[in-house]
Amino acid sequence: MTGESKVGKLSDITKIIKDGDKVAVGGAWLGSHPMAIIREIIRSKIKNLTAITVVGSIDIDLLIGAGCLSRLIFSFVSMEAFGLAPNFRRAIEKEGLPHDEMTGLAVIIGLEAGGRNVPFLPYRGPFGSDLVKYRPELYKAMKCPFTGEDVIAAAAIVPDVAIIHATRADHRGSIQIEGTSATDIEMIRAAKRRIVSVEEIVGTEEILKHPEKTKIPGFQVDLVIEAPMGAHPTSNAPHYVFDAWHILKYMEYAATPETFKKYLEDYVMKPEFEYLEAIGGMKQATILRRLAREVKFL
Amino acid sequence: MKHYANDYSVGELMCVTLAREIEDRDVVVLGSFTPLAYASYILAKITHAPNSTLLAYAAVDFKPFQLSFLRAEASATRGAPLMWTMLEDLNSVHLKGRGDVEAISSIQADQYGNINLSVIGDYNKPKLRGPGGAGAPEVIKMHRKMIGYFPSHSKMTFVAKVDFITGTRYLIGPEERIKSGYRPGPIRYITNLCVISKHEKDKPFRIDSLHPGVKVEDVVNNTGFELEVPEQVPETEKPTEEQVRLLREVVDPYGTIAFDFKPGKERLGYLKDILQKELASIGY
Repeated sequence: MTGESKVGKLSDITKIIKDGDKVAVGGAWLGSHPMAIIREIIRSKIKNLTAITVVGSIDIDLLIGAGCLSRLIFSFVSMEAFGLAPNFRRAIEKEGLPHDEMTGLAVIIGLEAGGRNVPFLPYRGPFGSDLVKYRPELYKAMKCPFTGEDVIAAAAIVPDVAIIHATRADHRGSIQIEGTSATDIEMIRAAKRRIVSVEEIVGTEEILKHPEKTKIPGFQVDLVIEAPMGAHPTSNAPHYVFDAWHILKYMEYAATPETFKKYLEDYVMKPEFEYLEAIGGMKQATILRRLAREVKFL
Repeated sequence: MKHYANDYSVGELMCVTLAREIEDRDVVVLGSFTPLAYASYILAKITHAPNSTLLAYAAVDFKPFQLSFLRAEASATRGAPLMWTMLEDLNSVHLKGRGDVEAISSIQADQYGNINLSVIGDYNKPKLRGPGGAGAPEVIKMHRKMIGYFPSHSKMTFVAKVDFITGTRYLIGPEERIKSGYRPGPIRYITNLCVISKHEKDKPFRIDSLHPGVKVEDVVNNTGFELEVPEQVPETEKPTEEQVRLLREVVDPYGTIAFDFKPGKERLGYLKDILQKELASIGY
């Protein structure tokens, strides 16, 4: 083993994420969200965060419900076929959670601008959308300085911290992603500090067998945490599917603020290994893994 | 000669109508998991559009797969010769206008080609906070065609003016699209009653076809804006017997398409039944 180790424990996240930080949350739809890290943020009572998501679901809904956010930057938050995200809806409709809604493309291009260290990037953006009118600090119509064409500038997004969940890493923080990478890599490039949880930590020789799967180099990573099933109840393709049974339960708990508190007690405010037991342990993990393996092509 | 089916659901009719929008060699993008759109694209791929390229999640040009509520992402990922990031996807397909179809749906849609996935009511104090648009508000401009599907055609959905413009086709007529570097194509909405389309900024949506058994007034009375009604409105082409068989036996044996058409109260029970069937398929 050469070089210093980036490997730490879940509880080490408090050395990197501080109250009031802007946190970019990886994953997309019901896939590969860094859920173990999110549960640890809630356990650690880190508050006043601004979360940034492209396509969020239970990750964002959980952070909102647990009272960790004071602002949300998003293009989409939904539980998809399970319905609208209950805490997200309540927070905006009833409690006036400050939020910046953007188009998905503008979030991605804004993160790319952040990674390139430029204040904005132009593109043929959402002309005619009310979002441009309502959020002039995020979008500006402008003329191309060369041709005079109309373009829209998407403001750079520079998170304090990016949190993502990936497939595997070595001790140096070489990160392999086999499934849906979403905007994880752009978030990592744009952020000042980065935490990556992975399904498994392996020796560097394992990483070298498939270097093409390595998407993030160790110098862009501050902390690596081994968290098997760390995306649960979201998926980690192609290794396990999202846990529809748990999400159905979550939707029942999240129906009211009172019952949602009970969800936090029953599932979140306990060590991560107890969470994995509470959701059905190895038996449930095996079902989710088998479903992801047994697919049928036509 | 085509053998048209007599026994089909409105979901299957919409699915086949959407599949017919896919041409061979089209580049087709799937956003959020919506069974009807997935089934349509996969049906097109295994029938009339074998050279279409399907994109979903990070998966590019994946093999067609049997639809499942739980396994769409795993299937696309396992069947793909290439995986890319969302940024590579944008740079390769969206920004240059290389996409052909990415069917969207919306809480509201209006006569101007605007969609609203943001709020019902005032933006800052909404009655309903919707999910937001993700890619939809922009891809509807960038891709060759703007295709929408709406399982419940009503004045709640088809309004004169949306409460909030999350996104818009923006460039509608062929000339202005070509001038701005985009390929021309219609706005077309497939609903549970009919197919309507818009081709020019200053002309209204026109009824392209009525589903079997639907009358012009059913559509007009359930639409909150003016429609052009041709003198002779054709009937929507029915699914063929083979298309219905493929959907039921090959593409969607778990019946996920029907999910979007179940009334709110029945949805949960229906979903639980699908999950049971999926468990049974792996021996549980």
